[in-house]
Amino acid sequence: MLGCSDLTVAYGDIVALHGVTLQVRAGETVALIGANGAGKTTLLQTISGLNKVRGGHISFDGSPLDSLSCERRVRLGIAHAPEGRRIFPGLTVEENLVLATSPWRPPGGRYGDEIAQVFELFPRLKERRRQLGWSLSGGEQQMLAIGRALMARPRLLLLDEPSLGLAPRLAEEVYERVGRIRRSGLTILVVEQNTVLALAVADRGYVLETGRVVLEGAAAELKRDPRVREAYLGR
Amino acid sequence: MADFIQLLMNGLALGSVYALAAIGFVIVYSATGVVNFAAGQFVMLGTFAGVATLVNGGWSLPAGYLGALAAMALFGALFYAVVYLPLRNSPAVTMIIGTVAIGITLQNAALLGFGSWPFRLVSPFEGMTVDIAGAVVPVHAIAVVVTTAVLIGLLWLLFNRTTLGIAMRAVAQDLVAARLMGLKVGALLAFTWILAAVLAGVAGLMLGPMWFADVNMGDPIALKAFAATIIGGFGSLPGAIAGGLFVGLTEVLGAAYVSSAYKDLIAFGAMILFLLLRPQGVFGERIQDRG
Repeated sequence: MLGCSDLTVAYGDIVALHGVTLQVRAGETVALIGANGAGKTTLLQTISGLNKVRGGHISFDGSPLDSLSCERRVRLGIAHAPEGRRIFPGLTVEENLVLATSPWRPPGGRYGDEIAQVFELFPRLKERRRQLGWSLSGGEQQMLAIGRALMARPRLLLLDEPSLGLAPRLAEEVYERVGRIRRSGLTILVVEQNTVLALAVADRGYVLETGRVVLEGAAAELKRDPRVREAYLGR
Repeated sequence: MADFIQLLMNGLALGSVYALAAIGFVIVYSATGVVNFAAGQFVMLGTFAGVATLVNGGWSLPAGYLGALAAMALFGALFYAVVYLPLRNSPAVTMIIGTVAIGITLQNAALLGFGSWPFRLVSPFEGMTVDIAGAVVPVHAIAVVVTTAVLIGLLWLLFNRTTLGIAMRAVAQDLVAARLMGLKVGALLAFTWILAAVLAGVAGLMLGPMWFADVNMGDPIALKAFAATIIGGFGSLPGAIAGGLFVGLTEVLGAAYVSSAYKDLIAFGAMILFLLLRPQGVFGERIQDRG
């Protein structure tokens, strides 16, 4: 479904991704793990169209994405719950969710089914629907970020560090919901520093180090790999 | 008492004009981060758009007003394409200098096109007055206050009840997230500039009959609108309205009761006090960051 081939991205003179090649097949959940600064967020942002590509290509469903704007990519079905959540702080929970339907919804069109699904997945958001974004707790903001991405009717969901800054119990709760989204059949690419959580939910994984893919394989294999165990699982 | 009511209405009318200029300034600042130093010249351009259609063109009132506002909308789109787009990734100072440059250009273009002799823009309510508790109040002043109140109501509906307005607020709050949500960020920013230009146009058309249409009128308006936003709270729409009314009222009442030479001292003195003591203004920031 998603293919990155030999992708190189740089900020000025600093090269963030060196020839990254990666595939996500339809229906699969893929984890992208690695330390801070490895280029994980850069890769997701590049897939969404926020960064310029210096070399290589990205394709979605077999057609090139390279020249498309962010907005066109969202319309094709790529939704992104970004690092730091980036909830609109002065909009209510419901306004945050409804805005994300604008790529597919005609003026005055309905969004009842989509919002009902999100509220079923995250009942807390329904309770807080009239509250402003900034007033939510970190966990609620993360739920809203994921819910907002789901409102875009995605076919590929990009999740950037959904566990970041959350207490362990909350991080597990968020990943339990990611597991549910996965079982509904949606294709997911998740970036995560919390290797345990990410590999538990994923089918396959890639390990990124200083902008290069150094390891890839089935999640179960990666969990057993001595290099992963030493560097990322701490045992 | 009669004098006071008359001054109060004139002050509110002038304050309404400042408030509209300040609102245009604030919506551009919140959405694009640009401090528009040409905001005063936008209002001047609105007045002269009216001079072009109504005085020089001899159009009927509705056609003249609509034509002037359409020209302002076009100007807003042009400003977006020629000034904002090329400079949007430059440092803030470059953008500010860009708006200063356009402001100076507009002022001199108006001088070239219309000359230095002031024009008189006639009000639709020219010479009409009403009697309020013994005070003779120009109908134009009442019309200005009512028009501004209606526009503020429409803006409130736009920003709180329509998808377009909520999307504009989203762009103002987080541009990157807005792009990731698939919003048409370019079109929304262009619309923000167009809206600001049209509001300045309305302000200019209403101000024309209160002052003379003079090519140098933009500078004092810019200063007053700027003071209004500081007093009300930088980036706050209610602040722009309250600040605009405060500046207009102190200007008119100060001239009558204190000293016409020092009428601006009250507004600018208040601005300096706010900068020293309460830099977030009366309304401050509605949005807070969680620690």
